[in-house]
Amino acid sequence: MSVVVTPEMIGQVVISGILSGALYAMVALGLALIFGVMRVINIAHGPLLMLGAYVTFFLYSRTGMNPFLTVPLAMAALFVVGVLLQRTLVFRVVDAPELSSLLLTFGISIALVNVAQNLFTSDLRAVEYITGSWSVGGVALSKPRFIAFVFALAVTGAAFLFLKTTRLGKAIRATSQSREVALVCGIDVGRIHMLTFGLASALAAGGGALLAVIVAIQPEMGGVWTFKSFLVIVLGGAGNYPGALLGGLLLGLVEQLASLFLTTQLSEVVAYVLLVLVLLVRPTGLLGGRQT
Amino acid sequence: MRLSPAVVLPALAVVLAALVLYPFVGTGYGVRAMLQIFMWIALAGSWNLISGLTGYVSFGHVAFFGAGAYTGAILVASAGWSWPVAALAGGIAAALLALFIGYPCLRLKGPYFAIAMLGLNEVLRALVSYFEGLTGGGNGLSLPTLDATRAIYYVMGVLAVAVTAMTYAIITSRFGLRLMTIREDEIAAEAMGIDTFHHKLAAFLLSAVGPGIAGALTARDQGYIEPLSVFPLAITVTMIVMVLFGGKGTVWGPVLGAAALFVIQEIVWARYPYVHPLLFGAIIVAVVLLMPRGVLGLLQLKYRLPRTI
Repeated sequence: MSVVVTPEMIGQVVISGILSGALYAMVALGLALIFGVMRVINIAHGPLLMLGAYVTFFLYSRTGMNPFLTVPLAMAALFVVGVLLQRTLVFRVVDAPELSSLLLTFGISIALVNVAQNLFTSDLRAVEYITGSWSVGGVALSKPRFIAFVFALAVTGAAFLFLKTTRLGKAIRATSQSREVALVCGIDVGRIHMLTFGLASALAAGGGALLAVIVAIQPEMGGVWTFKSFLVIVLGGAGNYPGALLGGLLLGLVEQLASLFLTTQLSEVVAYVLLVLVLLVRPTGLLGGRQT
Repeated sequence: MRLSPAVVLPALAVVLAALVLYPFVGTGYGVRAMLQIFMWIALAGSWNLISGLTGYVSFGHVAFFGAGAYTGAILVASAGWSWPVAALAGGIAAALLALFIGYPCLRLKGPYFAIAMLGLNEVLRALVSYFEGLTGGGNGLSLPTLDATRAIYYVMGVLAVAVTAMTYAIITSRFGLRLMTIREDEIAAEAMGIDTFHHKLAAFLLSAVGPGIAGALTARDQGYIEPLSVFPLAITVTMIVMVLFGGKGTVWGPVLGAAALFVIQEIVWARYPYVHPLLFGAIIVAVVLLMPRGVLGLLQLKYRLPRTI
């Protein structure tokens, strides 16, 4: 299969890659936060994203609300779900061996997917609010994807601002650097864990809400997002929060390139090979690992 | 309670003899059910080898089952191999796949391995669907008709016994002790001079062979496979639940878990297929939080059973 590559096609790949990369970065930041603060890889991250997508779908289809305005509602709803999950189940395995937290969140994840299948059915659902695209210099700019990109950037930016400037954000970062020292400084680590889980679930839900506008959703959509979010934080360096941005953009670009030169059918294979290669060559991530 | 070999070995011999004679007296359904139990014992026992002994969680063990199924089916359907040889080839193919994944991921500590296994399943399914010429893609692959259920019953039974015997041999060996040291504290294990990477890799390769063979045997038994039937997440979930329920890191835990859950599944849960995954999810959460060592762990504690059980 030979492909003639024009400058427009490259431009298209770069634009599409950046558009989806921002969404990856936003969702992955949530996974990175939980991992940084609690040393827990939350397998249920993708299914939480799926729940966020359904919040948007139902608000849109039942009340006709502008789906982009449902993003904060989906985030708020899943913030509560996240806090409850942490409060009832996850806090018990924070200090346990990794096996326990992985298995526990895996159990939560299959339960959530099954609940969604029973409540919402496995039918594909779509929010057809805005379609079509703008043409900018020969490059097609999909309208829903562009608006989602702007929202993802805004939410991710706000999250970084929160982590960087507020007292709570600083407490979260302090806890992720050293839980013991944070405790000694008078930080209520249990409360930080709860907030972090809520915040991470909200970031996943935001991603899900935006995805609902772009693609059709179904209960099993989340699994691949847990995997891709992890790939993004491996690319950026585990525990390195700005790395999630770079990792997200990189994954978006690589996937778009793959769909240009190979086929979209194999885009997950490409992402997977990318993970194996990075682990083989530079397991601490492209920006280096956590700074201690 | 003391379990002396004088009691255990004859009891085991009686059970084995009964299982050998069963196809001559059992109903078609009964033989098929036993065949399934053997398969689950082999699968759960294999998962236990990597995840129960080293603590490295494999979320994608069905990938080896599927890889074995496709290898076996292609060799039988296209190359005309006899199915027992094709089944062995399925095991070898699964081990090669494990080498490919394990080499980059097991050098690292932490969750990398778990996540890499989480994605593997989807990737194989995509690849199998893509290479239609070889695999039939989404249309699936049909094998020549052959009534070999009884023969497959015996081979699957031997596989279940072999995986369990191997687990016993490993747990009672220095190799097994080193694996369990890695599980308890990998840094301490390294400090003691254990080559942790190669030990983990060896355990992982061994854990892939059983599912590979089981996959190839299942493909032969069913006569038709397609991507969705041999790569379902549900097989991984069931393996994990069986081992956790029975008791991870033990010899008989996977056997107990496979038999118990299969029977409960057939009798009770078959009526509620829609909430099946929810129940499994709940069992995983409950076992992790309430009885991390499973039923056998509780029995060991209560009746002072030997740790090698």
